[in-house]
Amino acid sequence: MPGILIVEDEKELREMLKVYFTKRKYTVLEAENGKDAIVHFKPSVTDVVITDLIMPEEDGLKVIMKLREFKSSIKIIAISGGGKVGPASYLSLAKALGADAIFAKPFPISSLASKIEELLGEEKNSEQLAQ
Amino acid sequence: MQSEINETERNKSDEDFSLKSYSKEQDIADQIINNSRSMISVINRNYIYEKVNSTFCNAHMLVNDSIVGKSVVEVWGKEAFEKAIKKNIDLCFSGKTIRYEAAFETPSLGNRYFEVVFRPISVGSGEVTHLLAETFDINDLKHSKQKAIEKEEEFRKFETNLPIGFLRCDVDGKILKVNKSFLKIIGCNEEHSVVGSNIKSFYPYDDILEIQYEKLLEHNTTAFDRVYLKNFSGTDIPCRISGYLAMNGSGNPSYIDFAIEDSSRELMLENRLIQAQKLETIGALAGGIAHDFNNILATISGYAEMLQDDLSEKSELSDKINKIQGAVLKAKSITSQILTFSRQVEQEKVRVNVSAVLKETIGFVKSVVPSNIIIKNRIIKNDVNVLADPTQLFRVFLNLMTNAIQAMEEKGGTLSVNQTVVEGKCVKHDLNKDIVADEYVLLTFKDTGIGMDPSLKSRIFEPFFTTREVGKGTGLGLSVTHGIITEMEGEILVSSKKDKGSVFNVYLPVSREDNDLPEIRNNKKRILFIKGNKYESRIFSMALENSGYEMVSVSDLNKLHGVMTDANNKPDIVIYMSDSRQIHPEKLLAIFHQLMIKIPCILITEPNLELLEEKLLNSGIITQHLMKPVSLKEIRNAIRLNIK
Repeated sequence: MPGILIVEDEKELREMLKVYFTKRKYTVLEAENGKDAIVHFKPSVTDVVITDLIMPEEDGLKVIMKLREFKSSIKIIAISGGGKVGPASYLSLAKALGADAIFAKPFPISSLASKIEELLGEEKNSEQLAQ
Repeated sequence: MQSEINETERNKSDEDFSLKSYSKEQDIADQIINNSRSMISVINRNYIYEKVNSTFCNAHMLVNDSIVGKSVVEVWGKEAFEKAIKKNIDLCFSGKTIRYEAAFETPSLGNRYFEVVFRPISVGSGEVTHLLAETFDINDLKHSKQKAIEKEEEFRKFETNLPIGFLRCDVDGKILKVNKSFLKIIGCNEEHSVVGSNIKSFYPYDDILEIQYEKLLEHNTTAFDRVYLKNFSGTDIPCRISGYLAMNGSGNPSYIDFAIEDSSRELMLENRLIQAQKLETIGALAGGIAHDFNNILATISGYAEMLQDDLSEKSELSDKINKIQGAVLKAKSITSQILTFSRQVEQEKVRVNVSAVLKETIGFVKSVVPSNIIIKNRIIKNDVNVLADPTQLFRVFLNLMTNAIQAMEEKGGTLSVNQTVVEGKCVKHDLNKDIVADEYVLLTFKDTGIGMDPSLKSRIFEPFFTTREVGKGTGLGLSVTHGIITEMEGEILVSSKKDKGSVFNVYLPVSREDNDLPEIRNNKKRILFIKGNKYESRIFSMALENSGYEMVSVSDLNKLHGVMTDANNKPDIVIYMSDSRQIHPEKLLAIFHQLMIKIPCILITEPNLELLEEKLLNSGIITQHLMKPVSLKEIRNAIRLNIK
């Protein structure tokens, strides 16, 4: 089963995402801030990362850059709800840094799920092509 | 003339002696006359010189004989004679002593000022036969007088040109003297209506003068706190005042000099700065709250969605979950407005014709405005482009016009909307910006409504500040307006008078052709746009067309059917405005089902969903739901997300 790493400092939201994706048969890993995500990153079991952008310790932009460095094929989705600099500019920055998709909070979770499926599907296709 | 008197001559006869003494006296008299610094002459009734002294001769560089016998005209020239000399001579011969000042040119002295005195004299008989003319050189006196006048003039200019009011009063406050600038500050033209009155009548409290006087006794030059002076039209003018207490010879206070500066502008700028800082702080705070709220909303909506998935579609509970989702969307719209206000949302900008957006907004407002309110508009310059999100610009204009209308709701009135273009350098002062754009579109929204007092005016851009009843408006309108305009590097300025009305001036920088826009690459995606309200729809069309999409707009069922069945021109996405007059939600649903259409569809609704809209939303054909106010950025994100 594909593994999803959820990096989010807001506990309730992290929980919600975990419940949702566990039910959809994903292996869910959690990190409560960017530093945790980077330090405890397990490339072999992580296919998708959902990361918040504004977090204590290391922020989401650092997470995107570091994890992409550790595993180039990883799919990254950035989520944000605004803050000092604003969700839009942060999200577009995330996209520029290599996030595969971005969502402004609150978002329909079904759209997030279909985006993940789509991203993983692309990967499968390209793997099949390679074989 | 000089003759030496020696001892032997003294022994001559008496007659001889008297003759001699006569000539001696004559000699002395001649000496006196000739050594005088004045030009002295005797003129007869025929204007002929009969006698002149040496000073006169020297001045004309002529010998005595060549003047005596000559006429005044010959000596001074016709012009001088006709202009001044003749009439004075004539007057003198009527028996008066004449004095006058004039400038004369003489060969040796050049042009100089003289005082001329003509005295009537009689030689021999009792009648006036001659006049004695004397000139006194007053050139130096005249020059120093002139200098003194010039000096005074210079100082007068100095004190009148400076925008500083000067006022002198006695220690009890009785005004002795004021300058023009002071009169200007208090809005009065006549000095005499101020001089003699008491300075206390301009002060808001009687004891201000006493307080100032006591301070002046300690230090005879003192700068005081800001004082509001009451001007002649009853307005309070904030003034900076400093004073100087002058002492008389015996060391007692004799009078006070005040320098008074109108600090209205300074105060206005100060307030504006405080206001900007306040908005900045509230913005940062609100932005932080919005961020936390969005996290919570994401959690709520996530669980609601999961709950929905767990239930069968027919469950009664399903309806209640929809209500939760509806509430989440409403809350999201508020957080996004807060973020717009705090300028934490970048606007997606396209080049847009301001007057086109303004005209649509006016059309939109006119269709709903009560009949007791007249809307006038004057667009002085058409076809001016700015870089903006047309939907946001629409919101700005709509907010300002709605507020104006609400201010006139009870009594009715006129809303005047003007658009013109002004040069940046001309409005630099008004905008108080160091760096300005070359040109600005200036939009003026002027109403004749209830107006605002200064304390209300200073708070209108604060978020959640509202004068409306609870539930009627979020209090975000003007703060969002402010946020959008500031993000466009524009400016919004307000002036208002209680019971008279308000004026909002919006300055937006004009976009020139050579301004770089981010490259638009939409590969000409086709959008089928099902129009709702015609004015609002035109704004959306404008926004999307200027973003590079190909728009196919429809408003009736036949055309919709036509587009949907044309296999060669299939749209990539459908945008449906649920307030479409002909194509109601159930009709859209029917067409989608009938033709088995699998094109992504974006639904745009008001925040409060009607039953049919809810049904459409849950039917499965809607891939994305957006609630008004919708920004171009939101629509474009939705399009990008939904077009595969």
